[in-house]
Amino acid sequence: MAIIVKLDDLLHDRRMTLSELAERVGITLANLSILKTGKARAIRFSTLEAICAALGCQPGDILEYRADEAGG
Amino acid sequence: MTRSYSAALPIAYIVLRLLIVLNWLMAAAIFVLLFVVPHEQWIMSEFGISPSPDTDKLIMGMRTVAVIGLITVPLNYLGLKRLVAMVDTVRAGDPFVAANAYRLRAIAWLLLVLQCLSLVVGLIGREISSPAHPVHFDAGFSINGWLAVLLTFLLARVFAEGTLMREDLEGTI
Repeated sequence: MAIIVKLDDLLHDRRMTLSELAERVGITLANLSILKTGKARAIRFSTLEAICAALGCQPGDILEYRADEAGG
Repeated sequence: MTRSYSAALPIAYIVLRLLIVLNWLMAAAIFVLLFVVPHEQWIMSEFGISPSPDTDKLIMGMRTVAVIGLITVPLNYLGLKRLVAMVDTVRAGDPFVAANAYRLRAIAWLLLVLQCLSLVVGLIGREISSPAHPVHFDAGFSINGWLAVLLTFLLARVFAEGTLMREDLEGTI
């Protein structure tokens, strides 16, 4: 997919585990894992807002568009 | 509402299984009629047909209808088998799957073929019927039958769209 989820990098920068983020955001670890691995088909604004609030970042810090990976 | 059809499902399952058995019994009966007792004398006496110039045409027409009846047996079976599979998915609590959309579309095509065969049987009935031997088959053009075909195609499309929407929803975090 052309949209890359950079959750791994953000978690690494903030020394936070996926479980901790799941707890703070209030969504299941399984769903967060789907998001992290880029297997999600869509993300709700409310989820994005909660992740941004928990990590103190902007949506653009989490998502990135890479044209060369389109259609993958 | 979620429990209101709880009795309907086992009933549907049993009725469909019963129809599958009846379908094969019908196949056996037609097969016997066509190949085991194909004597004209027997057919004429059983159906009360008196010898006349139209007798050959009448018997040929009835045999053709019997062959068409035999052709419908596997078609019926394919449709019923898919319906049973759909009922199974409802019983398992997961009916909104792509497989059911394909099954519904296949059933719609089968219904279309059956309606066409019904038209042929109706035409044969009209062709072989005479004042001496009036023949009436319960076949021919049926507005309800064609509406059922259209409705099934439409439902298959609705189901396919619904399945896609569900997949999108499930993949939304």
